[in-house]
This record gives sequence, C-alpha cells and structure tokens, in this order.
Amino acid sequence: MTTRFNLKNQALLLSLAAFFAVSCGDDQPKDDSTETVEVEEKNANNTQLLELDGKVFSIPSPIQTAYLIKGAGVTYNKDILNVPSKVTGYSTNFKKAVNLGIYGADLGYVTLYDQTQDAISFLTAVKTLGDDLGVSSAFDMELVERFEKNIGNQDSVLSLVSEAYKSSDKYLKNNDQNHIGALVLAGGWVESLYFTTNSAEMTSNKEIINRVGEQKNTVYNLIKLLTPYYDQPEFSTLVDDLMELNDIFEKVEITYTFVEPTVDVAKKTTTVNSTTTVNISPEVLKQITEKIAEIRAELIS
Amino acid sequence: MKKAGFKLLVVAITIFSFNSVFAQSPCDTVATLCENNITKQYISDGQNYRALLLDDEIAEFNMVLYGGSTYRFAACSGFSDGNLIFSVYDRERNLIFTNKEHSNAPYWDFKITNTLDCIIEAQLDPNVSASGCAVLLVGFKQ
Repeated sequence: MTTRFNLKNQALLLSLAAFFAVSCGDDQPKDDSTETVEVEEKNANNTQLLELDGKVFSIPSPIQTAYLIKGAGVTYNKDILNVPSKVTGYSTNFKKAVNLGIYGADLGYVTLYDQTQDAISFLTAVKTLGDDLGVSSAFDMELVERFEKNIGNQDSVLSLVSEAYKSSDKYLKNNDQNHIGALVLAGGWVESLYFTTNSAEMTSNKEIINRVGEQKNTVYNLIKLLTPYYDQPEFSTLVDDLMELNDIFEKVEITYTFVEPTVDVAKKTTTVNSTTTVNISPEVLKQITEKIAEIRAELIS
Repeated sequence: MKKAGFKLLVVAITIFSFNSVFAQSPCDTVATLCENNITKQYISDGQNYRALLLDDEIAEFNMVLYGGSTYRFAACSGFSDGNLIFSVYDRERNLIFTNKEHSNAPYWDFKITNTLDCIIEAQLDPNVSASGCAVLLVGFKQ
C-alpha cells in the first residue's frame, strides 16, 4: 500500500516537475506584478503584431448592424441569409474562412430575431467550418451545449457567439493564420452590409441608409487588412472587388464636426458629442447594393 | 498518507490552474487578464488587437464606432493595471480621450451619439516598462 502510494506520488511529482519545466521554458515573468512581457518574444509572435507600419484595422461586429435593423422594425427575412446546408460545398480555406464570417453574421441575425431552429442550423455550419479550419477549440461542443442551454436568453447567446469568434481570432493570430482571421472578418462585414442594403431597399429607413454610408471608412480599413495577402489565391479577386466597391463609396459624402466631448469621471465614461452627417444619393445606394450583392454571391457560391 | 496525497492533489490543481493562464503566449496572458475589464453587459466585437511595443513606440488602431452604442475599451500591458497609456482621436486628430489624465485607467466607456471614425493610440508608460505587449479589447452595448 505504502509502496503504491509512493509510486503514485513520484509520478505526480515528475508530472509537476515537467509542468514547471514547460512553464519556465515560456519565459514568463514570475511574481513581479508590474513587470511587462519582454520584447524578445517579438520574433516568436511577430505575425500577430503591428500590421502596416504599426497600424491595426478593425472591422465592426456584424451583430451591431443586426441590432440596428431589428430596432428599425424590419421583419425577419430568411431569404437574405446564406443556406447552412451549403457548408459542405466550401472546399478551399479561403471559402471556409469567409463563410465562417458570413455564417457568424447570419447566426447573430437569427439570434436577434429569436429564430431558435435556424440558429441551431447556423451554429452547426459555424462549427463545421471552425473544425475544418483548425479552430475547433473556439467552436467546440461546450459552446454548442452552452448555446442550447441559453436559448431564450438573447444577450447570453450573443455574448457566447462573440466570445467564440474572439477566441478564434486569437487562435488564428497566434498560429500565423492572420490571413484566415482577416477573411473571417471580411465575410462577416460583407454579410452585414448585404443585410443593411437589403433592409434599406425594403424600408427606405434613413438610419439604415446612413449605416450603409457609414461603411465608407470600414471598406477602406478592410482593404488595408486584406492587401498584405493580395498575392495569395482568391484574395486578389476579393480585394479588387472591394476596391471597386470603395470607388463607389467615394461618392458618399460624410461631414464631420468636432464637438468637445463630456466626461463623467465617476462613471469612467466619455460622451462623444461630435456630429456626423451622411449624404448618400439613391443612385449611389443602388450601386452599393448591387456591388455588395455581387461580391457576396461570389463568396457564398 | 491520505492527507499528504490530498495536499499533493491540491497543489497539482493549483499549479495547473496557474499554468493555464501563464503558460500561454505573452500577449495571450495579457489578453486573458485584460478580459476581466470587459464585463458581461458588454458584447465583444470578436477581435483581439495587439502590438509588441519597444520604448516609445506607438501602436495605432483604426476603428469605426457606431452612433447609438456605448463602447468599453480595455487597454492592458503586463500583469497589472495602468501600464498602458491609450488615447482616442477623431480623424482630424482632435483628442477625444486619454487615460493619462485618469491615472492610466485600464478601461473607459464611450457613449457615441453619432458614428465616429477614430484612431486609438497605445503606448507603454515609460515610468513602468520599456517593452511589452499592448492589448486592446473592445466591447459594446446598445
């Protein structure tokens, strides 16, 4: 009994020693709480960092636009979504990544409209593509189970989905897959703009039309995000298409006036009071609507 | 004997938990700690913004913030709060906010009335560190 216990202890101690060895190999600072991570790590992780002369470009979450569309009273329209069963037809990493973004935007949209059954179908499609792209840690069975458990609690479900996409983004950046991460964002943005232009066409709602115009800078950011990978298969077509879209967006007039922000120190909140007006003609709106539909049709084909 | 085994198990679990946070890449560790600042009422924008900085290098994050939303920015470096200075500018380079005026606050909320195209600059506080990983996380609520 004693001997067996000792053997177990020894095995455990060896495991602990191994764990410490791995931990020390990571060069982590130990107990100095103000110490920051040394820059010598840069070479090991430089793929995730300082893109384009130190500039990092962000793409807004598709969920925000879905909120706007629903808030404007636009009714649920399944026809504007990609079809989950098409997931098996996406064979290249390019198509898988871009449709991971598209299905993610669709998932956010159906969740906001409380379409439980559709949400499960889109989540399954997302999980399939996540597995194929090696980001199964972000879209795992635990996510599916938590998703199912929280159905009916919209905020929780949207948080879960966003966190999963953030984990995926982190994983891809850590594993020299920035181009895949950029495509996921691109897919989400294209789908989101597709929703917005469709909703604008259906409702002529001024706020939704403005949201289309407000994408002028994001399309530019997206091009900047994708341009480093221009020479990779399929990227050039997408970037060229986005540049054509950017040309149309150049006709959108955005007037910005700076107004001093107000600060509530106690609440750690700054209210940004600056104003932005968007002027987008019906003709330009139509051109954007047609171009984004064309780009999106190519991506989901 | 049983007590000794139990103690060993507790130590093992503690070390495992410790390692699960700290045995990640340096930026991951900072990001994991920084996530605590994005509380549950905020939905993540699904992205991780990171930059390794040396000396007075500045990382620039280009972002569009939609009108009608409130955003929370969490900006971190190292393993404690207040190591990173972040400033928000509009496209005309008018200063909207800098946490330097608020003891390098690790997070701040922004109520956006009209959509804002902004630039966030992040740099290490030279009084704290000469190099490190800067992480910016963004959450929003409607």
